[in-house]
Parts: sequence; structure tokens; C-alpha cells
Amino acid sequence: MEQKINDIKNQILKAISKVRDNGELFDLEKKFLGRKSEFVSILKNLKDLAPEERKKIGELANKTKGEILEIIKSKRQEVKNENLNFNKERIDVTIPGKKSGIGHLNPISIVRREIEDIFTSMGFEIADGPEVETEFYNFDSLNIPKSHPARDMQDTFFMKNSDLAMRSQTSAIQARYMQKNKPPFKIIAPGRCFRNEATDTTHEHTFHQFEALVVGDNINVGNLKHVAEVFFSQFFHQDIKIRLRPSYFPFVEPGFEYDISCTMCAGVGCSACKGNGWLELGGAGMVNQNVFVAAGYPRNKYTGFAWGIGLERLAMMKYKIDDVRLFHSGDLRFIRQF
Amino acid sequence: MKYSYNWLKELSGTKKMPEKVMEDLTFHSFEVEGLEKGEINIPGVIVGKILEIKKHPNADKLQLLKVDVGAGSALNIVCGAWNIKAGDKVPVALVDTNLSNGMKIKEAEIRGEKSFGMLCAEDELGLGKNHEGILILPESAKIGDPISKYFRSKDSVIEIKVLPDRSHDAMSYVGVAREIAVLERKKFDYDFDGLVLPKKKSKKLKIAVKSSKLCPRYIGAVMENIKIKESPDWMKKRLEASGIRAINNVVDATNYVMLELGNPLHAFDVDKLKVQSEKLKVTVQNSKLGIVVRKAKTGEKIKLLDGVVKELTSDDLLITDGDNPLAIAGIKGGKLAEIDGNTKNIVLESANFNAVSIRKTRTRLNLKTDSSDRFEKDIDPNLAEKAMARLIEIIEHTAGGKLTGVVDVYSKKVAPWKIKLDSSYVNSLLGEFILVKDMTRILNILGIKTKNGKIIECIVPTYRFDLKTQEDLIEEIGRIWGYEKVKEQPMISEILPAKINEQVFFERKVQDKLTGIGFDEVYNYSFYGEKDMVSCGFDNIKHLELENPMNSEQKYVRTSLIPNILKNIYENLKNFEDFRVFEEGRCYRPDGKKVEEKRMLAMAVAKNKDSKGEIFYDLKGAIEDMLEGFGVNSYEVRLRKNPEKICHPFRSAEIKIAGEKIGVLSEINPAVLSAYKIKSPVAVAEFDLEILKKHANKSKIYNPISKYPVVTRDISLLVSNDTTYAQIVDTIKKIGKNLVKNIKLFDVFEKDSQKSLAFRIEFEDKKKTFEKAEVERSIEKIVSTLEAELGVTVRK
Repeated sequence: MEQKINDIKNQILKAISKVRDNGELFDLEKKFLGRKSEFVSILKNLKDLAPEERKKIGELANKTKGEILEIIKSKRQEVKNENLNFNKERIDVTIPGKKSGIGHLNPISIVRREIEDIFTSMGFEIADGPEVETEFYNFDSLNIPKSHPARDMQDTFFMKNSDLAMRSQTSAIQARYMQKNKPPFKIIAPGRCFRNEATDTTHEHTFHQFEALVVGDNINVGNLKHVAEVFFSQFFHQDIKIRLRPSYFPFVEPGFEYDISCTMCAGVGCSACKGNGWLELGGAGMVNQNVFVAAGYPRNKYTGFAWGIGLERLAMMKYKIDDVRLFHSGDLRFIRQF
Repeated sequence: MKYSYNWLKELSGTKKMPEKVMEDLTFHSFEVEGLEKGEINIPGVIVGKILEIKKHPNADKLQLLKVDVGAGSALNIVCGAWNIKAGDKVPVALVDTNLSNGMKIKEAEIRGEKSFGMLCAEDELGLGKNHEGILILPESAKIGDPISKYFRSKDSVIEIKVLPDRSHDAMSYVGVAREIAVLERKKFDYDFDGLVLPKKKSKKLKIAVKSSKLCPRYIGAVMENIKIKESPDWMKKRLEASGIRAINNVVDATNYVMLELGNPLHAFDVDKLKVQSEKLKVTVQNSKLGIVVRKAKTGEKIKLLDGVVKELTSDDLLITDGDNPLAIAGIKGGKLAEIDGNTKNIVLESANFNAVSIRKTRTRLNLKTDSSDRFEKDIDPNLAEKAMARLIEIIEHTAGGKLTGVVDVYSKKVAPWKIKLDSSYVNSLLGEFILVKDMTRILNILGIKTKNGKIIECIVPTYRFDLKTQEDLIEEIGRIWGYEKVKEQPMISEILPAKINEQVFFERKVQDKLTGIGFDEVYNYSFYGEKDMVSCGFDNIKHLELENPMNSEQKYVRTSLIPNILKNIYENLKNFEDFRVFEEGRCYRPDGKKVEEKRMLAMAVAKNKDSKGEIFYDLKGAIEDMLEGFGVNSYEVRLRKNPEKICHPFRSAEIKIAGEKIGVLSEINPAVLSAYKIKSPVAVAEFDLEILKKHANKSKIYNPISKYPVVTRDISLLVSNDTTYAQIVDTIKKIGKNLVKNIKLFDVFEKDSQKSLAFRIEFEDKKKTFEKAEVERSIEKIVSTLEAELGVTVRK
């Protein structure tokens, strides 16, 4: 009996390898497992066996039946797969995909985020202030009293019939922040600024700046240089050096213009830096004690540094943009490149 | 300001080339904007000696020369000049030389005689404008040498951007020369202290200063029998190099001294003054000659030197002869007492005026002059005396006049002041290690007297008005010492996490969500014009208006982001079929004396063709996506009745979260679109980002997923056009209670005054599997209520 069951299994294994289609497979299943099959008659005759024998053969028969069904099932899938006409299902994989459409950030937003992220990682807070400012915050608090010639250094948009102006520099945020916070602190103040200047490829009346402001007990010029170097090296992904030149901004003393080593030639000299190895970037300085006083701090208790730069300038350097007016053009042919 | 290098060199005694001077000033003193180099450098022009001169056989006006140029045989040159003789040394341009005037020298045949070069006049070498005759070189010039060797002395011009803090001293040659000397650690060798006002008091001249606040000092000097003529060449050259036109010897002298010392000066023709006025007699006590410095009367007029007439106010300060205005003080002279060719007797003015007053007057009159540029930045009143002494000296020299006397009105004398400088603060602020003796050395060469100690007592000369605080002195030490020496130093501070500006980071998340669903970010100006205001129907909204706009299109501060976005849409429809844009920006409205600021978000969808009329729903879906992204699942969108003009009257909705309005969603009114030349529909939405943030930042709580199956039923309704989807859904929810998990609208079509809506309602019981009968009961109840309350017909 045992032998018989194993024989049937072997016969099936032999026969199944020759099966080519579903019909043959059906016939085969009927022949070996059908009602009139030898296998079924074995199962039917189980009852005639001695109990011990019956148990043994019964287990074997059931196990073998399961095996055979499994073999047939996998053969059926095999036959089905073989009969698929893959050739008919060929596609052109080079046809464009169905896009759900992705939008694009204005490059100023991208640069601004990079700056915010670098400074946030260094523990700086992002400070903010209004774009329509009072003359107090835009000028007086920054040591630029009324009728001071330094007010001419920026062509400011003034509001009719009020003491309001469009913020001409992000430094206007300084006193606002200082009035609410005590040193030590580290902030950056990014934002939109306005100057009444004729526009051309390098001038815009609406533009963006950010400035870094650090105030504490013993902040010095060396700290200013260091933070600027760390930031620019991170931003441009290369070692950047800082160079200070004396300058004048009423809200700092000493005041500087700063240059960075050329990002194109690493200071060797190229057309981007007009051969001198340095790029002029922005203004900087040690916070004028009058600014602290205007913000309500005692004179000569704290020191601090501030330096700033135009975001448009950074974006133009980074993406080789040659016309500053593009940022506010709303032209999607421009924006969709970022 | 432009500075003649030669003049600076003479005053400072520097031996440095202009480039080096420029570099040193850049890193220690001022921004140098440019350098016009003066050396001539024309390769190919060399020194030649004329060996012989013969008449040209075929031309009466030409001569044949033989010229020794030091190499090879003597050159034959045809020349048309007659100021030369055999033996003269002259500049010779060899064949193939390019001259600075663009001429290229070639081998030529002139009237049958060959010529191998050209002798040069001054203009051909770029040395000046003179074309009269060949330039004759000194005997000592060596034959064959490049000509540039003998013309190094031609002047260079350095252009320096003097910022307001240093204008009072550095808008002068003496100021910049002092700086150049300091950078070489040299004592400045100019007899500044030797300039003393002559003691002789004028008997004829009386001066009355009516406002010592506006005119802290006024010095007048009378000179007689001067002779007006051209200034000497050297003076004209220096004026010209500094960008000032030469006029005559008296006017030029006033300008020359202003350039040299920085104090503007003026000269009046005495014989043109009218001294008969009764008033004058009172004010100047019957003197024959009077200067009265007084405020103008409102509406008083003055005719200026250039003939322009200006009307004044009582804020303006005038120099008068007691009656008639002679000059707007410190700004510009008048026609009345102008120096002309016949002038014989003059009054010289060297004065000091209040900076704020000068600035106000020149701003209002739109009169920016070399004089106002200096006075509006505050000048040391002690300088007036130096300038007058120098002016008299020069006029005596160039115009031959005789000084008859001087009057000086100077009530509040400015004296040097003291600053106590803590030497340790110098180093702690700069982050440097400078020895006290090095600090004082720098201060001393700047003219600041010091008493040594840890606290350095400094006495600041009055010509350095800008040095008022310790930090001012630290800057002086730092810049002369050299900022390049200061090493980068990491800050020492507690390590703390950055405080996060929630609003800024929320607005970044909004950007991310919107770019994620296909919105491009635009930036627009913060302004728009009258036309936008009218087109968009904003004319009833109060706007902030700029006093000095770029143009009338940028006159008002925006109260909405939409008008400028419509301009973007018009432009972009030229290049794109359909697109979505957004902008984050601030809007402003006046609020009494204050101003209301709102951080706004605008979203817009534009399509060239919107055949299905779905643009409103395109934008609505995007807003729903965004809100879902922020975890906002419950919000209301309701039709606005009689919305603003900019909105389509029947396609405008407001969006509320928890009863608070967060924004508005609308199609733009076609009439407004046509004002912006947009031919297809546009949908826009505007949100207040601070309110949106408030509702978006809710913390999320997990809602367990039901273990029991969801049962769905479809119903199809025929409703009147006045019945809204929201009414139906609200009714279904009200009746179905918490068994209704979800309602989906899967088909809509409108016919006549009715519309057909098909819904799929999902039922779910979180506690057990539904019984069929229970669902049927619920559906029946829903249907009957819809029929009763909303007059709906259920299609079977």
C-alpha cells in the first residue's frame, strides 16, 4: 500500500513535467485525484485495514494528497505565466511620467532658509520686525537723529502725514528686540527693506537683508570676524576669509566694510573679484553705545557686534543671476529654475 | 571728492606712488572709489635729437628733419612745426606707435619725401590740450630713453568717498594729507597753527549776527585795490583736478582754500553793497559797510549767482547788507554783490553755520553745493580763522590787494575736549593686545594729546569733531593699528538651544506645503498705484501713502497681495497654459495714529482655458489639502453675500475654523480681470498667516481604527439649485449621528433649475458589526428628513 502511494506520486511528478496547458493539467488531476482514480479508491479502502495500519497509511495518503495538490497548483501558475503574451504589453518607458506638479520657491526664500538654518544650528534666534517702521526704530534708535546727514546715506521712502517710513535696513529690528530681551543674546534679523533708488540690473528699491547681532559682556572684533568666517564658509561650502576695512555707519563704532575671500578663485584673483582676490559684501561694526542707550541698556555695560548683507547679492552669487529685478518679477520662467 | 595726488604729496610729504597711497587709505582710513593715473605710458615714443632741418622741396609749410634716436642711422622725418631748431631734444613717435589720441604712426611719403616717425606736441602725448608746437625736452634728456621717464610728474587724481563722520576734516586736502602722514607714522608738516588772523581791526566794516545759534562765527575781511584776472596756472590745474572750474583769481582763491582747509568761503564786491538803508544805519551804527546775518522773511526772494531766483522762509539764514540779501548763508552766493571783471574792493567771508539749518534749507531749496556739502556736516568754528588767514595770504599774492582790516564775531569759543580712555577697554573691544605706548603713539600722531596711565587722558583737537567717545578713539587706534592684525576668536558663551521663532518657521511650512502641491512662489513689490486701487475697488479702504514714491504706480502701501498677483498672472499667461502661484507678504493699513500690520498669504490659480468652470474648486481643493496637511480637519466654507467688488458676486466664500475667519476664497470679478487684461477666469484666496498658524498648530491625537467593517450605501438626490451641498451633508450628519463615518459626493450634474447629486454614505459602528436592518432604518430616516426639510427628491 505504501509503495502504491509513492508510485502514484512519482507517476504524477513524471507526467506533470510534460503538461503544456490547462487542459492537460485538468486531465492529469482527474486521472490521479478524480473520483475514479486509484488514489481515491485507496482512501476508500482504508477502513478495511487494521487500525494501526490504517493510521499509518491514512497519514501518508493525506500528506501525499496535499503534496500533489501543491504541485498541481504551482504547475497551474507556471502554465498561466507561460501563456502570458508579454510582447503585447510593451511600453515606451521614455514617455514623460504623469506629474502631480511640484512648485518652486523664490530663490530669496531658498537663500534665506539656508541662512536661517546655519544660524539656528549655531544657537541664534530669528528676530523679526515690521516693514513699515517708525522713524524712531529706523533712525533715532540707531543713532541717526533727525536732520543728521547720515539719513542721506539711505534714500528712504517716507509716509505722507506721519512719522512712518518703509524700513530702510534690518537694523531697525535691533532696538525692538533689545527692548524686550536682556543680553547675552545672539540673533539674526532677516527681512525686506526699501530704498528710493532707481532700479537697474544691480539696484532694486525693494530688497532683502539679514544681519547678525550678538550682544554680551565681552564681545570683540575678533568674535565678529570669527562668526562671519564660520557662516560664510558653511554657506559657500569652502574656507572663507574675512577682511575688514574702516567705514562709517552711525549705529556702530568702530564701523567696517567687510570683504570675503573670492568664492570663485579662493583669493588668487579672477574676473569675479576683478583680480584682487576679495569680494566686497557688506557693512559691519561694534554696536554703538548710543544704540544700547536708546534701547534702554546702561551705557558701557555691554558690547556687541553686528554685520549684515543683502540676500539678493548672495542669491546672485550662488545662482549666477545677472539681474536683481528678476526676484520681484513674478516671472515663472525664472522661479521655476529653482 | 576728487583729490590731486601732487597736491596731497606736497602737503603730506609722502614718497609713495598713488597706488600705494590708495591702498593704505583703503585699509586704514577711507573708501577710495577710483584712481585716474597720471603717468604717461606710451611705448614707442622716445627722446630724439634733431640733427638738421631742411626746407621741404615741394611744400612751403613743411620741413625735412634728420633725427637721432640713439639706434641705427638717423631717421628722416617730415614735420610741419616751426618751433624747433637743430640740437633740440624732442619726443619722437616711432613707426607702429599708437598714440593716446588714437593716431597710429606709419611709414609715409609726404609730397614725395619719406617720413619715418613723428615729433609730438603736448596733446598727442595726452599731457594736455596744447597743440602749438612740438614739446621741447630738457637738454639733459637722454637720446633713446622712453619719454615716460621724463613725465612722471603729471598729476594723478584719487577719488575718495568721505562719509559724514569725517566730512568736517577729510573733505579737505589738509585732512587727507594728515591721514597719509599718520599712516607713515610721520608728523604732519603743515603750518596749521601758524595760520593766525591778522590783528588789524576793520574800521569800515561792521558785522551784526542776529542768530549766534545759526551762525556761531562770522569773520569778515576788507581788501582794497585788488585786480581781477585769471588765476595762475598751478592753481587752475589744482582746482580742475579737484573738479572745480576756475573763474577768476578771487573766486578761485576762495575755492582753493575751501579745498585745502575744508571751510567754505565767500567774497562780495563792496561797491555793489547798498548801505544807505535806514534800517542798516540802526543795525550797524552808521558804519559805511555792513554785513547783517539774519533769518529771511517769509516770501523774501534772492537772485543767485546763476540767475535762479529762490523764495525763502523764516527758517533760512541770509547774509545781507542790512537790507538786501547777498547770499543764502553757507549755501550759495547772490547776484547782487557778485565779483566781476571790474571788482576792486571786496569783503571776504569765512564763517561757521549751523549744520541742521543748512541741511534743512538746502533740502527744501534743492540746492546742493560744495559749500552746503561741508557746512551740513558740522565744521569746527576754529577752522574759519585758519581759512581766512590763508585766503588773505593767497589773494594778496594772486590779486595784489591790500587788507584794510578784519572783524571776527565769535561768541562761544569751541575748545579742545577731554576723553578718558580705558586702555583695557581698547583691547577688550578690539580683541587685540596693543601696548599703551603704541596706543598713545597713534593718538599723538593724529594730533590728540595724551597723559599716560591705564586710563589715558586724551585731549582732542577741535578739528576732529567726530571724536566724542571712548569708542571713537578705539576706532582711531584700531584702524591705524590695522584690523588685519585682529585674529578671529570664537565666542565664549553658554551652549543653549536656539529659541525658535514659531511664526517664521510656520510660514516656511506653508511654503513647503504649497510648493508640494504645485504652487510657485512669487515676490511682489509692497506697493501699488491709484489705478490698482480703483480697478480692485479698494478706493474706500484707507491706505498708507508714500511721500516720495518711485512713481505713481508705486504710491500706496499694499492692503492686499491680490492686485500685484493679478499683474503676475497677466504676464505669466503669455508663457504658461495654467499655473498656481502664492505669495507670503505683509499688508498694512493705517489705524488711527498707528499702523496695522498683517502677515498675509495669497494663493491663486490661473488657466488659459477653464471649459469645465472648475477653477474655484481647483483652488478650494488646494486649500483643503493645505489645511489637511496642518491637521485641520474641520473648517467651514460659506458663500459670502454681496462680497467686495474684486470678488465674483456669486463665487466668493469665507473660510472659518472654529468660528474664526481665516481667509477668503473667490473667483475674481470678470470686470476686475478685464482691467488687468486677463481673459480667462482666476481664483484667489487670501489668509491671515497669524490666525492660520493659531489653528494649524493643534497637537494631534490618534483616533483608533475600527475593527468592524464599514457599510456603504449610495443615494441619488434631485435638489433645487438653491439647496447647497453643505445643507444636505449637515442634515445627513445630524440624522445619521455618529454612525455616519464619511460622506462622499461622487457625481454632480445640473439641469434646468435643478441639480442631481449622488452621495456615498459610509456607516461605521465602532463597537460592533452592523446589522443590515439598522443601516436601512438610518437611510430611511435620512431620506425622509431630506425630503421634508430640504424638499429633495430621492431618485430610486
